[in-house]
Amino acid sequence: MVLAKFVEVGRVVKINYGPQEGKLATIVEILNDKRVLIDGPTTGVQRQVIPIRRLTLTKFNLKGATRGARSGVLTKAIKKSDPFAQYAQSIAAKKVAKKALRAKLNDFDRFRVMILRKRRSALLSTQLKSLKKNAGGKAQAQAKGGNKKK
Amino acid sequence: MPAKKRTVRIGNWYKSDDEKVHFTRKRKAPRPAKLRKIVPGQVLILLSGRFQGKRVVFLKQLKSGLLLVTGPFKINGVPLKRVNSAYVIPTSTKVDVTGVNANQIDDDYFKRTQAQRRKNEQGFWAKRGELTAEQQTAEKTRLDGKRNTQKSVDAALITAIKKTQLLKQYLGARFTIGKTTRPHELVF
Repeated sequence: MVLAKFVEVGRVVKINYGPQEGKLATIVEILNDKRVLIDGPTTGVQRQVIPIRRLTLTKFNLKGATRGARSGVLTKAIKKSDPFAQYAQSIAAKKVAKKALRAKLNDFDRFRVMILRKRRSALLSTQLKSLKKNAGGKAQAQAKGGNKKK
Repeated sequence: MPAKKRTVRIGNWYKSDDEKVHFTRKRKAPRPAKLRKIVPGQVLILLSGRFQGKRVVFLKQLKSGLLLVTGPFKINGVPLKRVNSAYVIPTSTKVDVTGVNANQIDDDYFKRTQAQRRKNEQGFWAKRGELTAEQQTAEKTRLDGKRNTQKSVDAALITAIKKTQLLKQYLGARFTIGKTTRPHELVF
């Protein structure tokens, strides 16, 4: 496994502990093996020293971020290439959004989700049945063998 | 050190033997329970009794403080019913009740009649369940009247419920807690 996410200047990080939990920021300076200086002028994170332990590294980098860059410089760099928008497209961000949405569901919503999931699974099973039927003898035997393994 | 003089207080008031002490309320009229933010038309989840877990529609608060709810009867079998607001979870789902008229229904609607009390009588001389012919007809008309009231109240409700998809099925289902549900995290 090749290590790809480094603690470096410009690395986009997600804060996962503290009052700023869940917000994104950029690493501006590395202080020692345990602490970094981060800043998120567009994401509402104040420029601050934070232990690396409280961060999760993302795979995105802010292009044009230099060591010790001020908030204004960072904002300009973000305007050119926005890694935070790219992060929002990533699967990790989508998972977080999904979890937040599920937490907000009210009782009626949860009921509707349950019914829709049942309908979807019913559709899938009928499709699967018809595929098995049409596939013929060989495929059917394979499918049967597969079920036995489970 | 000299012993402290202990004085035993003897009151001026002595109870006589035949005086009964009753529990007297300081407040004469019952104070109706303050309604939490529950709005007519809101769907409530009943927490206790025969219909626990059922989702019902709230109609209004009665003078006694109890909440008047209805299933509607055709959807989940819950009739016009009084319910204590402490045993209820209000959900954020609301049904349009502008066409529903529950003005005639109050606490007297739910009072037990003499015929009903007779039925439950268990005295040595009382013949259980035996009503006179006129009492039986009176009971019959009373029950028919109740059925009609139920139908008239529910009619407008059901048309309003049918407008939202899956709301009828939602009201027909019971609320349950499984292994993985965390009630303290649920948003109702």
